[in-house]
Amino acid sequence: MSRVLVTHADQPLGLRIVKRLFHDPAIESLLAVGEGRAPRSFARFLAGEPPRFDYVRADLARHRAASDLFHSGRVRESGIDTVVHVPRHGAAPEPERPVVSGLPVRTAESRLVLQHCLEVPSIRHLVALGSACVYKLASGNAACVREESELDLEPSISAERRAWIDADMLFHAEVGSDRLRVVLLRLPSVVGDGGEVYLNALLEGPPRPHLRPLGFDPLLSLISDKDVARGVQHAIHVQDAEGVFNLAAEETLPLSRLASWTGRSSIPVPGWAVRALQGLGVLGDAAPRRFGITLDTTRARRELGFQPGYHIALARGGDGRPRLEATPL
Amino acid sequence: MSEGPRFVLDAVGDPVEPPAHGPTLLGHDPFSHPPGPDPFLARLDEVLRDTARPPPSEQPETRQAPDRRRRQPRALDDPEPAGHERTRGVRRLLGENVLRRLATLDRLVSETGYDAWGLEPEAVKSALPFFLALYRGWFRVKSEGHEHVPTEGAAVLAANHAGLLPFDGAMTAVDLFLHTDPPRLARAVVDRWAGGLPFVGVFLARMGQVVGTRENVAGLLRDQQLMLVFPEGMEGIRKPVTQRYRLQHFHVGFVEEALRAAVPIVPTAIIGSENQAPILFDVKPLARLLRLPTAPITPTFPWLGPLGLLPYPVSYRIVYGEPLAFHERFGPEAADDARLVRYLTQQVRRTVQRLVDRERP
Repeated sequence: MSRVLVTHADQPLGLRIVKRLFHDPAIESLLAVGEGRAPRSFARFLAGEPPRFDYVRADLARHRAASDLFHSGRVRESGIDTVVHVPRHGAAPEPERPVVSGLPVRTAESRLVLQHCLEVPSIRHLVALGSACVYKLASGNAACVREESELDLEPSISAERRAWIDADMLFHAEVGSDRLRVVLLRLPSVVGDGGEVYLNALLEGPPRPHLRPLGFDPLLSLISDKDVARGVQHAIHVQDAEGVFNLAAEETLPLSRLASWTGRSSIPVPGWAVRALQGLGVLGDAAPRRFGITLDTTRARRELGFQPGYHIALARGGDGRPRLEATPL
Repeated sequence: MSEGPRFVLDAVGDPVEPPAHGPTLLGHDPFSHPPGPDPFLARLDEVLRDTARPPPSEQPETRQAPDRRRRQPRALDDPEPAGHERTRGVRRLLGENVLRRLATLDRLVSETGYDAWGLEPEAVKSALPFFLALYRGWFRVKSEGHEHVPTEGAAVLAANHAGLLPFDGAMTAVDLFLHTDPPRLARAVVDRWAGGLPFVGVFLARMGQVVGTRENVAGLLRDQQLMLVFPEGMEGIRKPVTQRYRLQHFHVGFVEEALRAAVPIVPTAIIGSENQAPILFDVKPLARLLRLPTAPITPTFPWLGPLGLLPYPVSYRIVYGEPLAFHERFGPEAADDARLVRYLTQQVRRTVQRLVDRERP
């Protein structure tokens, strides 16, 4: 039986994971942490008898708040042994502006969560969600990457991707630690309810057109948020699993098709124009890419026993508009 | 990419009953296709109906053959759909056998219509008439030894490479697709440089070709696919006419991956590509300056401009040799033995060279 703490539980991906774990009989208690008020859907979890779910508010990017949480009586008394760190969705706010010790928000959160997991004696297991955008994009429309593939350490990458890579490396550095069992799950673009896409800077937030270099159409892996939650569940319960794992569904889509399926327009522009706009800083973190990657999930299948349970396809919603939808296999 | 049930989505082309609640699966992008039955399958049905009709000579005299030289004006109440004349030509070119083979491609991809390496069967269906015309009309390909190509499971076909533009790869892929049963789509490994070119890289990926990274090759072999590799790489494609039918140095990566995946290597000789664009000189300083892999001088290029790059209408002959089952003698750990891998690579090279020498004019 595990006692689990889930960070960013008030964001869509965290919400999905909390729901999944709440219904898992092998989870003894669940402590959800979010920055905002408890989502309304948590009301019935909070009212459950006997109480096995609690929600607390904390800004994990702030040292004091994180310290207060992990050393609080709640965490101590509930004997939390597993932490699921859900990344902040969307671009880190104001990535150029230092938040804690000069680190962007996502990196700061990752560092503080990891540090406190190592400090609190009862915590023995950390499951962190990362992004597949950390991989170096090889030349070509698609490359199927494994966990050992090269990370993109070019100095020219965007602050958003740098934050993901920094967080990834922080967690990766603790893999093999005697004190803490770390599982890092690298995720592609996540398709949530209503066809929303998370963990993809180009497709998050309100629909807006984006530019892509003419003649290129990177291929992207996808995964349903429900499969992410299932993957987390596997990572918690497979006792000897440790290290980095790619998680993805079978489905892939070119960026132009994915954009159109999420109600956005993908405008091809000549490469020189893209470079000029990038030079002017107009494109920000949503910098267009020429090449894409897809994820080889062999390791997750072999060691975590993970099999995608949902496939992603175009569907027509109740309002008659087409949208991405995850349906059970 | 997967070890698991990759083909759980076999029913991609099947009609899906709308669920009682929730969304209705469309299976196609409504921005590019209208919802409804697969247009390709609809065309296939039309072909099958056409074959049941009497030949034109037996049809009633009152029906006049259309004037192929001019587009006929269409009556408003003409029941034939728009573009029917055009697709009929394509269908005749392809034939029922090819259409049936094309219909099997859908099992290779997921619900979205793509696989993990970018293959898009719809794009293959669109491009095949062009390549089939090259195969039958321009290069007049003849082939033998298809019985050596595994009908299922992974394998690596190692072939000689030549001809400036990789028509040898395209013709081999078409030949395998037409002459294997069940039809197999060869996944050719292309150079990183070509994969990174605008439009070209996307086109190659949609046709099922992959950039030659170890991850790609290992993933495709794990996925039980048929790989087509040209171990000479760029050195083969830019070799001068004086070197034709002389195989260049072979890269060793394909042998390593074949050993790791425990799959056979099928030596393949392609005769004809060595003559399709005879390179007189390769101006290497110019190539370096322009950041190109080669700056060739041929009897027609650059004198005729881009037209000079068109291959000569040489006839192709493709021969598949007996598979080399190194994996039956050596385990996957042999892939880490550099000397053994070099030796086995030389074995493959010698075998391909022998096939070429036997078949060349």
